[in-house]
Amino acid sequence: MNNLNRVSGATNRTPLKPILAAKRRRQLYPFFFSLGPVPLTMISVLLIGLMAVLYLTQLGQAVTANQSIQNMRSEQAVLQRQNQDLVNTIANEQSPGYIAQQAKKLGLSPSQNVQIIVVKNLKPIVNDNQQIQP
Amino acid sequence: MYDQLRRARKRQMIIFLLVVVTLGGLLGRLYYWQIAQAHSGYNLAQLASQEHLQNQILNAPRGIIYDATGHILATNVIRDDVYIEPIQFSVDHPDSPQNALVSLILTLHRVLPQVSENTLTQDFALNQQAVLVATRIDPAQSQQLQSLQLPDVFLEPRTWRVYPAGTLAAQILGFVSSSTNQGVYGIESQYNALLAGKPGSFTAETDLNGNPLIVGASSEQAPVPGANISLTIDSAIQYMVQNDLDNAVKQLGAQGGSVTVINARTGAIVAMAGNPTFDPNQYGNYSGQTGCLGTEEVYFNPSLYCAYEPGSVMKAVTMAAALDQGLITPNTTFYDPGYIQFNDAPIVYNWNYQGYGMETMTQVLLHSANVGAAWVAHNILGAQRFYPYVAAFHLGQAYNIDGAEESGNYRTPSNSPQVWSPSDLTRQAFGQSIQVTPLQMAMVYQTIANGGLMMRPYIVASIDNNGQVTTTQPQVERRVISAKAARELSGMLVSAAFDGAPQSTIVPGYTVASKTGTATTQGISNTQTEASMAGFLPASSPQFVILVKLDRPAGSIFGITAAGPLWQTVAQQLMWYYHVPPDAGT
Repeated sequence: MNNLNRVSGATNRTPLKPILAAKRRRQLYPFFFSLGPVPLTMISVLLIGLMAVLYLTQLGQAVTANQSIQNMRSEQAVLQRQNQDLVNTIANEQSPGYIAQQAKKLGLSPSQNVQIIVVKNLKPIVNDNQQIQP
Repeated sequence: MYDQLRRARKRQMIIFLLVVVTLGGLLGRLYYWQIAQAHSGYNLAQLASQEHLQNQILNAPRGIIYDATGHILATNVIRDDVYIEPIQFSVDHPDSPQNALVSLILTLHRVLPQVSENTLTQDFALNQQAVLVATRIDPAQSQQLQSLQLPDVFLEPRTWRVYPAGTLAAQILGFVSSSTNQGVYGIESQYNALLAGKPGSFTAETDLNGNPLIVGASSEQAPVPGANISLTIDSAIQYMVQNDLDNAVKQLGAQGGSVTVINARTGAIVAMAGNPTFDPNQYGNYSGQTGCLGTEEVYFNPSLYCAYEPGSVMKAVTMAAALDQGLITPNTTFYDPGYIQFNDAPIVYNWNYQGYGMETMTQVLLHSANVGAAWVAHNILGAQRFYPYVAAFHLGQAYNIDGAEESGNYRTPSNSPQVWSPSDLTRQAFGQSIQVTPLQMAMVYQTIANGGLMMRPYIVASIDNNGQVTTTQPQVERRVISAKAARELSGMLVSAAFDGAPQSTIVPGYTVASKTGTATTQGISNTQTEASMAGFLPASSPQFVILVKLDRPAGSIFGITAAGPLWQTVAQQLMWYYHVPPDAGT
């Protein structure tokens, strides 16, 4: 081991040139102030923690929004279904067959003996422009 | 030092070899998954995606069908199908499955009484992921099942086509097959591509429960809803006409029939009723049932698909051809001994074998004399001057307003040179040896009512394709006869209707131009008829053309007595419903 130490020559190293010395210093102390390894680690952990908190806060909000959107989509689907049911019900109750059925239930019935009054010498009404839909 | 160096190199070599072997193993594994397995269709990336990606097809809502007044004839509802998961149930209950199964089956049966306990037991015994146990359950049942949150039971929503008015206009609309979701018959079939719309798609990353995540990558292509279609059919009239037809068929013991109502000026179809008919909400119940004298499925619209021999209603065409060419006038006379002989065709008799002596052309229509019609066709017109008019009146040619219709047919010297004979000409003059659809014959009377101008019949009033509205404009098909000829013929038909009609066919307050027909079919009894009546009113300012046809009426076999009262009822209701001003004093 002694041999090896001697070979490496750490104690008898030749002093560095000024430019090289400055480069080495910048590598060891990148900031304007000196920062030891322990404070550097702690600051790094704190910074990473802060970023994690910020990211998780955003993610949490996104998840909440996602849940809210899901709920709204479910509600929309339910409302669409109810709307379609209502449209169907209205269409059914507006259909002539349903109206006739309800009228029958109320005691009404189609007239079997319609009396038509013919007015003598009444001038026939002719309207060539009359357009009946459709 | 040399030994130390050698040992160090040895260690380095071992480490190097270990690294090489490990890398070799990794490369081999990589080759296996990425190349060997990929070629056999095993896609790891796809499998990974399937774990957390949801690909969903978004069905486009099918377009709604409206009548002319905006009432809905066809719409959609969402109903749930109920599935059970037998395999998952076994996994969830490894220890005591029987008790849990009995309890689950009882609960399911209580909510869905239409599914028997035995069926449910059998379904749970199946070794399948999911088994459909009930389809299209009531909303109340859906709600009940959702609140119960039964394990290993899930609901699958599905869109169904419904027809709120039931049987109303069923043969016009057709239906949508629940298995293929494609329109079958009628408007649903003809406009299926437009009504169906275009489905969209939705791809998103999902959470553990399968809910899409907005934070993940997602893409959505919205579905394009189907077009809404408005018909020219008026629900109220359609209902009245259908009711009247059903009553007439029942009362006369007929096998079926049809009523066609057309706007005389535009060609728009106001109502088309058929008997027998079906309920499109339960179309499966009618499979095997037939209409049109057993020749067509009940789903076909008889006004478009049921060709028949029109009988004396056809005499209007014969007269129109002769009047338009100036070969006769309403007062042209000939001697009618009750029969007529031809050199090249069999003898023709009047329907009642009665002779009318000297009679005018108007009286030919009034008496519905076959002899007079055959005389005009054979002796006055001839084949060369008769058939161009039959073709111009669009007989034997489909309009295809609602899909591929029956075209009908008749023999002419040009289309059947080998088999045509003058006998065809003399018989076609009074509606035998020619097959037409009720719509074609109704359009003949529309042409006469409209001063000789044939309109193109149409049933779709407008199509709203997501805001892009296309409206059908009334379109002139062609001028068939001159206005003068149409006016003269109209007058002849009015006289025939007024003088020859019994009280039961007169519409009080209105002049009517009509002609009845009683067609028999060769080879069967003369009492097996197809009774019809075609005409329009008010004759002075025609608004509606009505054609009524009854197949094999038993109570009364003639057009005037069987179809006449039904025609009168329909005409009267039309006049009242649309408040058409009367044009006659009595």
